[in-house]
Amino acid sequence: MAKAEASEYTLFLGCMIPLRYPQIEAAARKALPRVGVKVFDIEGFSCCPEPWSVKGADLADWLAIAMRNLAVGEKVGRDMLVLCNGCYSTLTEAAHIASDGSEAKEVAEKKLKSLKLTYAGKNKARHVAGVLSDMGPDAVAASITRPLEGLKVAVHHGCHLLRPAAVMGFDDPFEPARLEALVEALGAQVVRYEGYTDCCGKATQDAEASLTMASDKMAAMRAAGAHCLLTVCPACFEQFDLGQVEIKRKLGKDHKLATFHYLQLLALAQGFDATELGFKRHHVDVSGALAKIKK
Amino acid sequence: MPKVSPGFAESLSKVEGTGKLGYCYQCSACVAECPAAQHCEGFNPREIVLASILGVADHLTEAGSVIWQCTTCYKCYERCPQGTHPIEVVTALKNVAFEKGNAPEGVVAVRDTVKEAGFIIVASDALEKRRAELGLESAPAAPAGDIKRLLE
Repeated sequence: MAKAEASEYTLFLGCMIPLRYPQIEAAARKALPRVGVKVFDIEGFSCCPEPWSVKGADLADWLAIAMRNLAVGEKVGRDMLVLCNGCYSTLTEAAHIASDGSEAKEVAEKKLKSLKLTYAGKNKARHVAGVLSDMGPDAVAASITRPLEGLKVAVHHGCHLLRPAAVMGFDDPFEPARLEALVEALGAQVVRYEGYTDCCGKATQDAEASLTMASDKMAAMRAAGAHCLLTVCPACFEQFDLGQVEIKRKLGKDHKLATFHYLQLLALAQGFDATELGFKRHHVDVSGALAKIKK
Repeated sequence: MPKVSPGFAESLSKVEGTGKLGYCYQCSACVAECPAAQHCEGFNPREIVLASILGVADHLTEAGSVIWQCTTCYKCYERCPQGTHPIEVVTALKNVAFEKGNAPEGVVAVRDTVKEAGFIIVASDALEKRRAELGLESAPAAPAGDIKRLLE
């Protein structure tokens, strides 16, 4: 297979990955170079910021912080690679608003001037799923040394990767398939399940409804025969992994569904040892799922 | 009788498409796949848009409002045939509620943490230990001073 062309990005980690789920960062740093994606670290990034609470509090504040991050990234002249749907949503929508001249933009630009920063709209955020998908599943498959044969994976895209599709530009908002193709490139089997583009429920402030949404989704995954579930977002990851502990306690349902970020399974399929990928820090035991992989 | 505020819709912050509020013809396409409408008592994006158009939305910006039940899934945005984008109306209403001091504690806490620390999570010794175990350098430092200045 053709070797992937090298592509270079500034790594934008956000908050949840470096500060709560560093195993996803570790997987990214191991796996991406093997697919030909080179990432650079720079100083000065803050929270993207988070697109429900910070945006819900004040649109102009949310936009100002996002445009500051884009401006900081723009200075070094590379697009920013994100591993989180929230970061992707915020930075992509902010770049969109910055180009279409809404009134929130004027307020945000004034705030940015106080820091002597401007965002010219030259760089943007790229989601790792989009970057790998553009390179092609074959490029990903070429980096695999230990295919995940036998593992049935339910893919949870996460809302902010897909919608609004005209702004996010990743895939069809209701019938996406690009991320599934990247999972098949690992040698795993994708199982489609009812409601596969539904929300994980993380962002609602109704705690019980939030758990029910996640639980219903995992029940559909199990019914379709999934051994594990896969996300490309640390917020969705938390909702399903940590969420299963609460779902068991409050709803009395024990789904026992191992939860992974795509980059963890990519690194695993590239031959990295499971002990290097932080699985022991997951709240739901992953050993049952890993045992399904044919040796 | 609720208090009517003429011009309320025009006063809402303009996110993508909230300017098209008046085009809503109450078809309920936004309700059909809304997870909050399915799982939360009293949440209905069509009714939220209608109340905003009519200027009788004060109850939606009081403490404990249903607007915070929205999951921000953007299905209503995609399904709306009129470009009204109910989720953006909900976000604009949240901004009004926050300004009035009526946002839920959890939302205010996240916003305040970002303002003070630059991130929504603050690094800890336990986290640094986990990073070291994984062969990672210490967590990135946030430009907290910059973010504080932006939000003041």
